[in-house]
Formats: sequence, C-alpha cells, structure tokens
Amino acid sequence: MFDNVDNVSPKDVEALLVGAAQPERFAFQVHVAPMVAEHLGITPRKVIATTELMCASGQAAIRYAWTCVASGLADVAAAVGVEKMYMPNMAEAQTNMTCVLDREWDGVNAMSAPPFFAMTAQRHMHEFGTTKEQMALVSVKNHHYSTMNPLAQFQKEVTMERALQSPMVSPPLNLFDCSGITDGAAGVLLVPAEDAKKYTDTPMHIIGSGQANIGNAINNLASITEWVPLKMAYKEALRTAKISADEIDIAELHDCFTISELMEYEALDFCKKGHGGKFIENGEPYIGGKIAVNPRGGLLGCGHPLGATAILQTIDVLQQFRGEVPEGRHVKGAEKAITHNLSGAANVHSLMVYARR
Amino acid sequence: MGNVEFEKIKRPENIKLPYMLDFYPLEDEKNTQVSQFFTNLKKGRLTTTKCKECNKSLWPPRIVCPHCLSDKLEWIDLGTEGELYAFTETRLGAPLGFVEDAPFCIGMIRIGGLLISARVDGAKYDDLQIGEKVGLKIVELEDGRVFYRFRKIG
Ligand SMILES: [Zn+2]
Repeated sequence: MFDNVDNVSPKDVEALLVGAAQPERFAFQVHVAPMVAEHLGITPRKVIATTELMCASGQAAIRYAWTCVASGLADVAAAVGVEKMYMPNMAEAQTNMTCVLDREWDGVNAMSAPPFFAMTAQRHMHEFGTTKEQMALVSVKNHHYSTMNPLAQFQKEVTMERALQSPMVSPPLNLFDCSGITDGAAGVLLVPAEDAKKYTDTPMHIIGSGQANIGNAINNLASITEWVPLKMAYKEALRTAKISADEIDIAELHDCFTISELMEYEALDFCKKGHGGKFIENGEPYIGGKIAVNPRGGLLGCGHPLGATAILQTIDVLQQFRGEVPEGRHVKGAEKAITHNLSGAANVHSLMVYARR
Repeated sequence: MGNVEFEKIKRPENIKLPYMLDFYPLEDEKNTQVSQFFTNLKKGRLTTTKCKECNKSLWPPRIVCPHCLSDKLEWIDLGTEGELYAFTETRLGAPLGFVEDAPFCIGMIRIGGLLISARVDGAKYDDLQIGEKVGLKIVELEDGRVFYRFRKIG
C-alpha cells in the first residue's frame, strides 16, 4: 500500500477503516482494526474502526474512508480489507455463513450461502429458462481472466465440461458455480482530489456511489429473482456520478455464484430481464463485447476473502486505468468503471463509480 | 536447551454444544418476547403475529409492526400445509452440527401469504417439484425446545 505511493508514510494516515466480515468466527479475534494499524505502523488520530457488511465489508471501509476525506475530517485515509477464512475443519467455516441471514428463522435451517443462491438459481431457471450451461459460462469466463491475475486463487482455465462435471454442492449449483473460501488482505489510500498529484501522477477518482437495502429475512426480500436494491443503487450511482450507463467500460461485479453475475447483467440493464444467460452466450460481458465484466477474474477466479474482496476489485480497476495488467485482460482506453458487492440474501447492494480522470 | 521445560497439557475432549454453535432459538419468556410462537408450535400450530392496525401478517413473528410501528399485534394460525416455492439439497458444505444429516433438502415455502424457509424432510432433491404441497412437521430437541420443518406429502 505504501511501497508504490510517493510522499506518504504510515504515520501520515489519519483515518483507518478495516473491512472484515467475521474475524471473530473465522479467526477468533475481534478488534482487528488496531491489529492492522499495529502491523502496518499506522497510528490513526482521527478515525479508526472495523466495518462489517458481510461480503461488502471492504466496500464499507472504502465508503467510510471516502466520507472521512470528503468531509475534511482526514487528509489521508486508508481502507484495508482482511479475511482469514481457512479453518482446519471447513464445516465450521460453513457454520459461519449460516448466521449471515436471520439465524433464528433462516440460518437455523442450515441456510448458508450455497443453498440460498441455489434456490435463487432454481427460480431463475424456472421463470426464465436459464440453463446450467449459461451459468457455467460465467465460471469459464472469470477463470479465463484469473489465469492472467497473479493475485488470483485459481490460476487454471476451467472448461465447460469441467465446470458441469464438478461435484454438486447444492443443486443446481456445482462446485465451479461457487466462489472459493479464501484468505486475503489488501489496502488502498484515499486523499482529497486536489492533493492526489502530490502522491501519484496517475490517481483514480471516486465520482459516484449508490447503496440500497430492502429487507433481511427471506420473507421480507423485494424478490428472489429480481434484485431491486441493486437497481436502486445503480440508479443512484449513475445519478451521483452524472454519467450515463453506456459510459462504463469495466464492471467489477459480485459473482459470488455464477447465477449472481447473470442477475447483475439484468439489474444493471446490460440486457433485458431474464436474458442474462443469452447475454453471456453472445460473448457480451467479455472484453471487446458490450461491457467488460470481471476482467480481474471475479470472485469465482480470484476467490472471495470477504473483507478484502472489494479492495481487490478497486486495486484492479486502478491498475486497469494505468495499463498495469497483462495484455490479455486489459480493457484498453477504459475511462470509467463500477465495482459492485452484494451481501446477505442479496438484500444489500453497494456500488462505487471510478474514473481515470 | 537445558533450562527449557517441555510439558504435554490436556484440554477437555468433549464440550457441551456451545451457544455460539446452537442454531435453534432460545424459546422461553426470559429470552424472547415471541415465546408464544413456540408454545403454539408445541401444540402443532404454526403461528405468527398480525398487526391489528394495518392488518399485515408479519414474518418472522414481531412485537412491533415494521409497517406502521404499532405494537397492537395478535397471533394468527398459518395452517399446516404450504406450497414449495423453491428448494435445494445440501450435499457438500453442510455446517457443523448438520454434517451428519447431509444430504438434506431445504426449501422456501409459501404459507399463509408468507415465504418461509425450512428443512424439507421425507424426500430427496429429485423427488420434489416447484409448486407441490408440503405438510408441517415439528421436531423436538433433546432439551425440549421445538422447531418447524415441512415434509413431502404428495
Ligand atoms: Zn402495522
């Protein structure tokens, strides 16, 4: 975080926000923000806190670091994301995913992430004719891009056959429909736009954001097959960024499961409702298609260290803008990008809009 | 290393299931203001609260209506038969405490105008269909607490 930024040291960081979803269950440790500060030699004197929003915890850190800087509270803020998810008994890690939904009424039924998204996929297949092959295409695409990302957990191509023949986790979801359980950490620095050139010739600008939530328990979601809060967050993100949808060159979307990315194409109006499967069949979310979706390799290819994921998406967008990514996954001339995270039962959606200039 | 002492220590081999790994809600009046739900469930009745002011049925059971913030709620019966809206089967990745049950089915069930998640017993994934009727089933834990599931009846 400090190695490739000039004129700034850990002691300059006034605000530190640490995105971590469940350190108390995955690593038996709370109060992780001071640990991060200690590791990095940061001594915050304006703001320090851990931010939890499950799979969007990293984006929560960015949003609060941004508000610290935008409000004038801090001149230099750091947003760091961390998650240590590997456990000796992986059933215990799955247990941690059952207290994300309402534990007493949904989690109690062993409703962790795979069953919830499996039922989402089943309904999408039932209502719109989406196929297993169309879902697998998301895994094939994102694993293809992750072969060109040295930070990715998965470095090998996944063929359609391999995806479809991988072990069934929770039908209709096979193993390659699911993102990995991953350890990871990443950090970014935020400063006021007018100060940015002090630190780098090639900063990236936050130009908009949107975030929305409807309900929590399954009964109170807006819909299972249409992510209404994502539509709301997207509208707000475009409004605050003062851009139109066709100006976006890169979309880093939250592909925790293959079905998620298909439903995101639809909610973001890349295609008509129910046509997410056809959209990828036609090659539209590849680089060179209608819009480059997850050229980083996505959560499917890179793994999903909960608190770190959003920070890693953000760093990749920055590297895309700077042309620091390998040729095969470089979106040339990209000027604007969105990063997206969903959390819980897809009842919360968080979006940031970034620009090269 | 003459001054260093090595000693093997022991930790308890069996620990009573800690609360943080107990999925089932605490049901008595000391722990929840919706203990009536569990009292009713013990008698075979699946119930929830309904708002007397705005008439909305609430799920999960509440003590204040989130629609109009009234606390004038009444208990209503949801019936004992629901319709399967969606379902899946946990084959891999079962949480600790449910590993021994796998594979098992989980569903979203339409009942009394609500959408409730629950385990679905008595069927494998391939035996079930969207839209089919499922019946209420009540399971009792070793300590007397109860919870609802559904079961294949067709
Ligand atoms: Zn009411």
